[in-house]
Amino acid sequence: MRWLFSFLALVLLGVAQAKSFSGSRLLVILEEQSEKEKYSALLGDLNDRGYQTTVESPKADKLSLFKHGERAYDHVILLPGKSKGLGPALTANQFLDFMKSEGNVIVALSSSNTIPSSVQSLLLELDIHTPTDKGALVVDHFNYDSVSAADKHDVLLLPFPNPPRRDVRNFFAGEGVLAAPRTVGQVLGNNSPLLAPILRAPSTAYSYSPKEEADIVEDPFATGEQLTIVSSLQSHNSARFTVIGSAEMLQNEWFLADAKLNGKAVKTANREFAKQITEWTFKETGVLKVGKLLHYQNEGQNKKLNTSTAIPENNPTIYRIKEDVAFQVEISEYKSDHLVPFFPASDDTIQLEFSMLSPFHRLNLSPIGQTANSTIFGVSFKTPDQHGIFNFRVNYRRPFLTNIDEKRQVTVRHFAHDEWPRSWQINGAWPWIGGIWVTVGGFVAFVAVWLYSAPTEKSTKKTQ
Amino acid sequence: MRLLHSFVPSLLLSGACIVSAASSWSFEDASISVSGKGSGAGAKDKLSPDTPLAKPVSLGATDTLKILLTTTDGKTAKRPHQAFLTLTDPTSGLHESFVFSVKESGKAKVDLSHKDLPHQFLSSSKPIPASIVIGSFGSSAPYKAKVFDLNIALDPNTPLAVPEKPERYAAQEEIHHIFRAEPRSPPKIISLVFAVAVLGALPVLFGVWATLGANVNHFGKAFGNAPISHALFYGSIVAMEGIFFLYYTSWKLFQVLPAAAVVGLVAFISGSRALSEVQERRLAGLR
Repeated sequence: MRWLFSFLALVLLGVAQAKSFSGSRLLVILEEQSEKEKYSALLGDLNDRGYQTTVESPKADKLSLFKHGERAYDHVILLPGKSKGLGPALTANQFLDFMKSEGNVIVALSSSNTIPSSVQSLLLELDIHTPTDKGALVVDHFNYDSVSAADKHDVLLLPFPNPPRRDVRNFFAGEGVLAAPRTVGQVLGNNSPLLAPILRAPSTAYSYSPKEEADIVEDPFATGEQLTIVSSLQSHNSARFTVIGSAEMLQNEWFLADAKLNGKAVKTANREFAKQITEWTFKETGVLKVGKLLHYQNEGQNKKLNTSTAIPENNPTIYRIKEDVAFQVEISEYKSDHLVPFFPASDDTIQLEFSMLSPFHRLNLSPIGQTANSTIFGVSFKTPDQHGIFNFRVNYRRPFLTNIDEKRQVTVRHFAHDEWPRSWQINGAWPWIGGIWVTVGGFVAFVAVWLYSAPTEKSTKKTQ
Repeated sequence: MRLLHSFVPSLLLSGACIVSAASSWSFEDASISVSGKGSGAGAKDKLSPDTPLAKPVSLGATDTLKILLTTTDGKTAKRPHQAFLTLTDPTSGLHESFVFSVKESGKAKVDLSHKDLPHQFLSSSKPIPASIVIGSFGSSAPYKAKVFDLNIALDPNTPLAVPEKPERYAAQEEIHHIFRAEPRSPPKIISLVFAVAVLGALPVLFGVWATLGANVNHFGKAFGNAPISHALFYGSIVAMEGIFFLYYTSWKLFQVLPAAAVVGLVAFISGSRALSEVQERRLAGLR
């Protein structure tokens, strides 16, 4: 009976499961249903990966991101349309609430359409800035497609992005050339660590408004690599948000187009890039999961107690100051449809903080073992010389990886009165201890002399 | 309509291509000058589109750098869409572009002073490569080349206001915080020497007593007179020290107290007898 039930559950799961870690309900907001054809390859790829796609117009009556106060969809793709407003169901606040309940959003912009006001205020809220002029787009006179934009230079051809830093994993690497036609460039605010550019413009690119700056660009919105073509944000709850400056990047036309870069014929690899972006935004990649977290006394009689991985977490709640403690945590990474052992980028480490208000110890965790689907990271250290309530905390936040913030609270107590080192173990005390026993010996001898001493010649004379 | 709209320029373009296929953007009559505040025009140099300036240009805190040039497409002076002076920070890779204001005739001008520069450039210790980028729509090849190196000379009297680094998620510095260092002992050999010296005091004390005539010759006499009380009294004193020793090494307080009470009582009772015997000896003139 039980096996039948689990078999049924397995079958049901198999049917419903998308490759995303968070869910499979995808809403595609597209104003002109006739334009659906243009994105058919993208939508087909998403369906093949198990998403249940709903394509709706922003004007549809029943459209809502929420149902009964819960998310009605897990992911949203907003494709550009002609109208300036998106209606009451798709306000900036609705999108933010959607992300607050861990929904993922892709917003595609297009320079030939105005950016809807709700999207504009949403982007501003997230500190992503777009040019205010209608129709502003990115051009580059060095890296353009000379087949489709020989004159206007507004179809940029770029390599796949390099990792932004050496300690950040690159989820968007690939072979080939990306075409970014008629892009709305973005500038990311400098203060938010949540923002990360995915694809930057080349160093010679700039954004201009064709209407007002037709002859010469005098005051460009942004230039060079400060312009991003695709940018991302991952909020504190790990909801993901991606802005694609050029919706045309996602269209069939550019998925495998023939282009010409500086006289050399190339094929665009936009399909692969679109797959990488949707995979990342919809949490098929870069999702971390914490497994068992262990800490134990690494000295004395309780050494390595409760370290078995088979039993559930059963960690001690109290430690003493200056005690050897070992810590280990299992971390897995979700890859398409299963969990695999996680390894950070080459220059990156996961860190453990042992903190009371502020960290007293911050230690690099190193991989010490591996299970079938997780890496065990561990470190041993001595508790600080201060008693109090401490936390073992692993706060791992990196661009493009979901946030880990795990805490385990423990008490750190004083030395008990009989746990101090004995005085004979401290060699500085030896003369003093010697002094005490010399006194004791002298006293016992003195008592004996006082009790049993016979008078000598001298002393008898003296008393007489 | 839209098709036609895009078709016409490309038609025109393909016509233009034949004429000016080999044309490319460049500049001529370029000069660079650094003028200080009040001091008038300073150093002036000619810039060449092919070779960068041999020695770096130095820009002081109150100086203004000025570049004048004429942009050309092929041989003719022409206004491009893009005319930038691009600085690249060699350490961080930061790019910053300054836009030339170009007249219809292709005469272009750009001014640069410290207040235009982001702080990364001001704090850079290496010379900053400056390149000129000229490009426009159409088929003419764009121009980009390094033309000079820029040295930033800071005013030593005014400290540079570097804004706090914005937060980025990355591995942080390790912390190993200790409030008080572990107490330290002197080397073992020194402790040992002094401990031996202290212990050596006991034989010295006994020796001094011996020279003063101390002895235990009446031991037999005392035990003969009051054997039990002397044995118990002296034994209880030694036992008390033994209790102290055990307290020091292993006993707890509540093990010590009853034992000390028993030994103390024995010492009190036997002591009065033993001390009476000592008094008898003193009265007999034997002390």
